[in-house]
Amino acid sequence: MLAEVLIQLVVVVGILLPVSIALFVGRERLVRTRSEWRTRLKTAAPTIAVLLVVLLINRFARQRAPRLSREIGFHLTASFYNIEGEFILLFQSIATPETTAYFSSIYVYGYVFLIVFPVLAYFTLPDTRMFRRLLTAYALNYVIGLVLYIFVIAYGPRNVMPADVAATMLFENNPQYQYLTREVNSNTNVFPSLHTSLSATVATFAAITRSTFPKWFPVAVALAASVAISTMFLGIHWGIDVVAGMLLAALCVVLSDRLVGRWAVSELLGERLERFEDRIPWLERSE
Amino acid sequence: MLATAAGLTVSSSGCLRRVRNIVRTDDIQQLSVTITTVPADADRQAIRIARHLEENLRAVGIDVSLDLRSDIEFRRAVLYDHEFEICVGHHPGGTDPDFLYEALYSRYIDESGWQNPFGFTDRNIDTHLVAQRTAEGDARRKAVTAMLEAIATEQPFVPLCVPEEHRVVRTDRFDGWDEGHPATRHGYLGLEPAAGVDTLRLAHLDGRLTENCNPIATDYRDRGTITDLLYDSLATKNGDGPIEPWLAESWAWNDRTVDITLRDGCEFHDGEPVTADDVEFTYRFLQDTSLGNHGTPSPAPLYRGQVDAVESVESRTDHRVELSVETSPAVGARALLVPILPAHHWRDRAVDVVGPGGPSVAQGTTEAVATNNIPPIGSGPFQFGGRTEGAQLVLERFDDHFTRRPGVDLPAPTVDECRIDIHPSGDTAAQVVANGDADATSLPLGAADIDGVETPAGVAMRDASPWTFYCLGFNTRDAPFSNYRFRRLLAQLVDKEWLVDEVFHGHARPIATPVTDDWVPESLEWHGTDPETPFLGSEGEVDVDAAKAAFETAGFRYDDYGRLRVRQ
Repeated sequence: MLAEVLIQLVVVVGILLPVSIALFVGRERLVRTRSEWRTRLKTAAPTIAVLLVVLLINRFARQRAPRLSREIGFHLTASFYNIEGEFILLFQSIATPETTAYFSSIYVYGYVFLIVFPVLAYFTLPDTRMFRRLLTAYALNYVIGLVLYIFVIAYGPRNVMPADVAATMLFENNPQYQYLTREVNSNTNVFPSLHTSLSATVATFAAITRSTFPKWFPVAVALAASVAISTMFLGIHWGIDVVAGMLLAALCVVLSDRLVGRWAVSELLGERLERFEDRIPWLERSE
Repeated sequence: MLATAAGLTVSSSGCLRRVRNIVRTDDIQQLSVTITTVPADADRQAIRIARHLEENLRAVGIDVSLDLRSDIEFRRAVLYDHEFEICVGHHPGGTDPDFLYEALYSRYIDESGWQNPFGFTDRNIDTHLVAQRTAEGDARRKAVTAMLEAIATEQPFVPLCVPEEHRVVRTDRFDGWDEGHPATRHGYLGLEPAAGVDTLRLAHLDGRLTENCNPIATDYRDRGTITDLLYDSLATKNGDGPIEPWLAESWAWNDRTVDITLRDGCEFHDGEPVTADDVEFTYRFLQDTSLGNHGTPSPAPLYRGQVDAVESVESRTDHRVELSVETSPAVGARALLVPILPAHHWRDRAVDVVGPGGPSVAQGTTEAVATNNIPPIGSGPFQFGGRTEGAQLVLERFDDHFTRRPGVDLPAPTVDECRIDIHPSGDTAAQVVANGDADATSLPLGAADIDGVETPAGVAMRDASPWTFYCLGFNTRDAPFSNYRFRRLLAQLVDKEWLVDEVFHGHARPIATPVTDDWVPESLEWHGTDPETPFLGSEGEVDVDAAKAAFETAGFRYDDYGRLRVRQ
């Protein structure tokens, strides 16, 4: 079943990507990329390496994390439920077979497309800074998200009010997707919503680059908003997770600006460390 | 004392009373309770029962919060650490009412496991629990009735309903599904494969099986169906059938002593012989997993009621064991159903476990409870073949198993391999059977999935007699759950009939007592409503005025805002 779901995903995204490259990127940039891709790849290599390492750690840690989490995590399902109650059921008011189908495909296909497309699009820009910023922001999302997942043990609304969200719940209507989601996540990892944070990250970058990709900007914003809503509509995330996802996105975009391009990573760390030491009085005293 | 004295003094002065209220404001406040249960992914019905109770408790002025724990953590919280107030869960129950002895006997109050997780202590109930264990024939039936009625009065836990058991099986690949109960080893032995079929493919839901194959790790076991394929017991029981010889060739009761003859030449999966010493070891070990290393015994968190009946166990020869029980033979024979462990593997597990990460049981955590026991070495009809954590467990036929001998008329493993794949949910498991990628679902389908199951040609529903039940458990160690009036009131805030219709889609039977049909006394039969603790309302909705009046009659008080106030 996993294989079927994956093939479908690859086919859908595989169709969407070339179409959107033609629509949003244009032939000129592609031609130039063809002659410059080696140098660009070289400039961006460290960033790509960092992202790959983060993804690898993430892949490994998401399987191990639940056990660590069991030891040191905080159980927050009750707190989330006490704070927002049945807020997400508001979205049930727009539930129809059509909206359910729309949000389900947004959650699976739309989301994957949304985070893959900008990687390709920004690579076609002669200045690799935006490309590197995007990858850095992705890496930060994963790292911070993983740390939060370890500390926060919380189940999503579908696990607390299964009957109330049954009509729209992703897995009720498309049980086969569970084979995919269980590969990438455990059901206690809901805070924050990485679907929301990565989508919001993409939308923010789309806003920053809207003079370069004017047509992409509204599409990215619409898709990102749909993804955020879909997580609640489908009963997967609490409103709190979505808000946290947006804050995480904002943080990652800001951090990516500070980290990328102005210094080499090693320099930055050195400078930071010095400043940090200056600020700590007991380090001086002990000397 | 001091507080009482102060109370007496201040009661004479209004001014001082105000001072006292400032000093002791926290003494009496709104009752706040936590309901612990598992998420919908683990049990869709449990969380819905919990939310039904939550709603009705709120309605009568009680502050409620929900505590969701994974399967493993739920068991550790409730069974091991006793860190809960009200729990909603699925109790394994039993076909013999003697399981209640284990569940409620007061001497088990401080132990971890299925033995008295409720911390219930009541002299009267103790007497009933013990009486039915020694009585025989008609006298036992009377004793059981008295016990069940006394328990229903006290409501140490609230039995809610018995869910039906339906599984999906492929009849074009195997025949003989109806012979064995699928919650026991019998369900997977003696099946008749179609020509060319040599693998039994089970669609399972619970990944815990791939992490841990320890037959006494309560946090990982439900009914031990699969571990019973890996381990033999002296006797076996096919569902609600009689207790019959298994690893024991025969036995003879003489008063309260049973002389057991083991089958000749049985071996564990590692080639070591199964001897009377292993049997003797098993009973001693389950009674004290520290083997005397602790000052007081550390009984296993499973099978407590069964092995507790055993007074002495002595191996006479290599093939003969003598077991004396404190109970009637009918109850004592249940002790023969525990898995026989190879002494040469488990003796070393009597050591204490230190360090975080594992379970911690009150009676002292030994390696025996904490080990994941992989690979499991038993003497059962199947042996461990391999596993992929979270995804698959493979069992291989144990060719030397006694059931395969000519002349032994017991169901044997008929396939080379039994492959258990873990699927994410009940509907996907049912789907893979329908698609032909599995031969049966090993666990009963969830109530919500039953009506949607497709049964194309070659696929059938296999119905089995149920005995597990859903219940609300109270931690009666703490007020106000120590008060039977309070427990009875909470029992009356659950509409069992409505739950069965709404949450179980009619695929369950509401109950007032947690035993199988033939043991239910007339006084506790269900006729449309609970005979002991009828619901205070209708259609799932509580009648707030009636319920509040009932709380007040029971000695509880409400404040001006309609909040139930209790000294906690």
